[in-house]
Amino acid sequence: MLGRRGSLWFLAVPPYLWLLLLFVVPLGVVAAISLLPGSGRINFGAGWPSLNHYREVLDTPAYLRRLGISVGMAFVIAAAATVLAYPIAYFLAFRARQRATVFLILLLVPFASSYLLRVMAWKLLLGREGAVNWVLTSLGLIQEPAGLLVYSQAAVVITLIYVWIPFAALPIYAALQRVHPSHLEAAADLGAGPWTRFGRITIPMSLPGALATFSMVFIPTVGEYVTPSLVGGTGGLMYGNLIQDFFTRAGNWPLGSAMAVLMLLAVLVLVVVALRLVDLRRVAA
Amino acid sequence: MTAVARASRQGSAIGVGRTRVPLGLVYALMIVFLYLPIAVLFVFSFSTNTTLSFPIEGYTTDWYAAIFRNAQLLTAARNSLVVGFLAATVATGLGLAVSIAVVRFRFIGRGLLLALAGAPLVVPFIMLAVALFLLFNLLDVPRSMFTIAAGHSVIALPYATLILLSRLVGLDPAIEDAAMDLGASYPATLRRVVLPLLGPSLLSAWLTCFIVSFDEVALAVFLAGGDQTFPVFLYGQLRFAQTLPVMIAMAVLLMLGTVTLTLVAFFIRSRSE
Amino acid sequence: MPARPSRFPAWFIAFACAALLLAACQSQGGESGSPGASASAGGTESAAASVNEPNELTVLEWSGYEDPAYWTDFQTASPDTAVDFEFGISDADILSLMEGGSEADIFHFYTGWQQFYVDEGLVQEIDTSKLTNWDKVPDSFKKLGQVDGKQYFLPWDWGFTSILYNTDHVDGEIESWDALFDDTYAGHLSMWDDGPAAVTVSSYIHGWDETAITDAQLAQAEAEWKAQKPLNLHYWTGEYTDFCPEVQSGDIWVAYAWQGCYADTLYKESQPVAYANPTEGRNSWVGLYGISSQTESYQLALKFLDDKLAATSCGNAVTNFYYGCVNQEVMDAVTDPVLIQAFGIDDPSILATTNFTPPVTQAQRDAWTAMWARVKAE
Repeated sequence: MLGRRGSLWFLAVPPYLWLLLLFVVPLGVVAAISLLPGSGRINFGAGWPSLNHYREVLDTPAYLRRLGISVGMAFVIAAAATVLAYPIAYFLAFRARQRATVFLILLLVPFASSYLLRVMAWKLLLGREGAVNWVLTSLGLIQEPAGLLVYSQAAVVITLIYVWIPFAALPIYAALQRVHPSHLEAAADLGAGPWTRFGRITIPMSLPGALATFSMVFIPTVGEYVTPSLVGGTGGLMYGNLIQDFFTRAGNWPLGSAMAVLMLLAVLVLVVVALRLVDLRRVAA
Repeated sequence: MTAVARASRQGSAIGVGRTRVPLGLVYALMIVFLYLPIAVLFVFSFSTNTTLSFPIEGYTTDWYAAIFRNAQLLTAARNSLVVGFLAATVATGLGLAVSIAVVRFRFIGRGLLLALAGAPLVVPFIMLAVALFLLFNLLDVPRSMFTIAAGHSVIALPYATLILLSRLVGLDPAIEDAAMDLGASYPATLRRVVLPLLGPSLLSAWLTCFIVSFDEVALAVFLAGGDQTFPVFLYGQLRFAQTLPVMIAMAVLLMLGTVTLTLVAFFIRSRSE
Repeated sequence: MPARPSRFPAWFIAFACAALLLAACQSQGGESGSPGASASAGGTESAAASVNEPNELTVLEWSGYEDPAYWTDFQTASPDTAVDFEFGISDADILSLMEGGSEADIFHFYTGWQQFYVDEGLVQEIDTSKLTNWDKVPDSFKKLGQVDGKQYFLPWDWGFTSILYNTDHVDGEIESWDALFDDTYAGHLSMWDDGPAAVTVSSYIHGWDETAITDAQLAQAEAEWKAQKPLNLHYWTGEYTDFCPEVQSGDIWVAYAWQGCYADTLYKESQPVAYANPTEGRNSWVGLYGISSQTESYQLALKFLDDKLAATSCGNAVTNFYYGCVNQEVMDAVTDPVLIQAFGIDDPSILATTNFTPPVTQAQRDAWTAMWARVKAE
């Protein structure tokens, strides 16, 4: 019979191996590519390693500014998504209870259709002949239908928050399940009102979930490119678009890799700094 | 009057009083915003229009019929479902393993495991796609749906890990200790005690991983052998003017299919309890 | 083994087995991955060799072109041949896949990328004496498939690039490419999201030699495009996803465009549009097919390409995508007035003044894409 400690091998080793082979090693390959001197066919012969591409990125202020803007946007999006997802998670945990799973499925399922098509549908709704303009003109608020209400940095932020909320609710919902009725009843018996119970018990107990949510949204959003290309217009571009362009349009993998590695390092630094500020062990207790 | 009786009079045993915060309304609003574009797509899948524009010229079920005559489309959809299923299952399984290991045990390399499990979040998909492409080339691994699924399982793993971790952190280890005190082995405890308690979180994790895989293009292009997945096929078809309506019909169908499958699974489970 | 969810044990396991079986049995076109497949020496092979060729082809295609409509003549003539497809979604992808050792016998890409394939020995010459439809292709198109005088590539589909404009919002006719920089149309302009295209437009406007753009010229182009950026509604990327719908809703008035949306808008009669004949000349791009230098089925590949040039297969591209076909007989036989108008079939002077996209070198591609990235990042 397998003991508790022995089971650890079966739990820890497979993920380690899987990630080592399919993530760490490929990442090493990418880092190696970023050190290629030129941009043509992958050839690790003459001139490798070289910091050419890193120099090119660091010498272009526009790229670095985009990275900074992307980090800022990602922060706002992650914070807003976490806050706005909270009521949804709360609803699932405390109101829906037995039927929570069904409500959850309903939240996630729209994402099983094509994102591209859904954005096209939204552009129709927000467009000249769409629902929003129709409502505004019927109410007499505007005389003529306004042009397309998309294509701006704000549109990117709003769209990404909207898209993230259902997923952001999941870790918070998971964490809220540890709040037992008995905790809250005990507090109520001791005279705590509903908002006090919420602030002193529910929120702290769900904090790990909120932090997980924030990270889950923040980190990939820094490198986001799909939404900015669909609704960002010329002003809503993010750093991920630049990386994507170098890979898929220019065929310049080394430069794209260098840009991606720099982004990785930036996020790593931010995460480490954040971890210093937030003592995880205290939160999880 | 006891707290329980008082609470049940208020209509809510826990949490904020029902009358104060209309949470159901918040949820309903979210649902409306999520399904509005789906509703648009649904309507247009029955219209004779070939573009997403008003007015709607006529109604037809031709597009749905056309789906079943289009062998490439059906193959692409099937491929996406298979890849999504494999990727989600592997990612959820590994995410579960990581969560349990990290939360319940102390060992060297614990922090590293967690960091590694979360790290794919920060890597742009195209970069991983290119890297895995080169790696598989080097190792002479033939590209196929399995290679796509492997790639997808890596990018989906962080989501599964974060969701399951959040749940596991709140699970009292005393329950497991009790089960083992009663004579259960650790694997049995995990299977019979912990997993059922994780319930909805497992489903959320699995569904999230499935969704991450389902709409993904970069890995699906570089790691595919001869078979396309649905989003790659869609991307190609949308380069042409007249193919839009059939694609819309298919997207709606796939979504409805996913809903049905997950709801069926859920009801089977709840019936078996 | 990591603990698997035991939530739905029987159900999950059954579906998992079914999924794996489905995937394993029905997956087509998976690479065999065996190294050292005997490569045919670059160059033509005698007809006798075709007897020993495997009766199967793998084509690396753009997603959407695998539809039998576009190779139906081959399908009818050689129904026993197994034709498998691999897919790419951009020229860069296709080159990467070929460089990465794709076992495709034939690949398809668009003008500008010819030099890369030749330089890296990925392609072999096409024996045009074996092509029965070759004489139907005009010389100008044949030349586009040549590098260093050798016919490495077969042109197949083509189209124009010019300025599509809404005549309700534009006074008179648009006569020059610099309309894209005209702030009269601020907020209703749209340029295609592509660096080399931007450089091409700049070279037309200023009369530069596209094959020899200097650093100073590139810097000037960069400054001009940065100034032009706020005039755009957005840079478009997908013809029918974020471009044509907005032309047809009247949000985009003047744009860099291929003729597809022009034809589609004429059909739908949603907006009054015109397609410019700038004094600098329109641009044209061509889709090219190459035969892999590693193919074992050279003769079969030739037959495939020859059949693609035939009237039905090539003609379907015209009717379905509103692309042009290099088979002149097909173009001459077009009777649809919208397509005649879209391709200017009645006006041979258009094609005579059209500038075809020349091949681009690595250095140029790098410089021009970096320029565009700086414009976008600004």
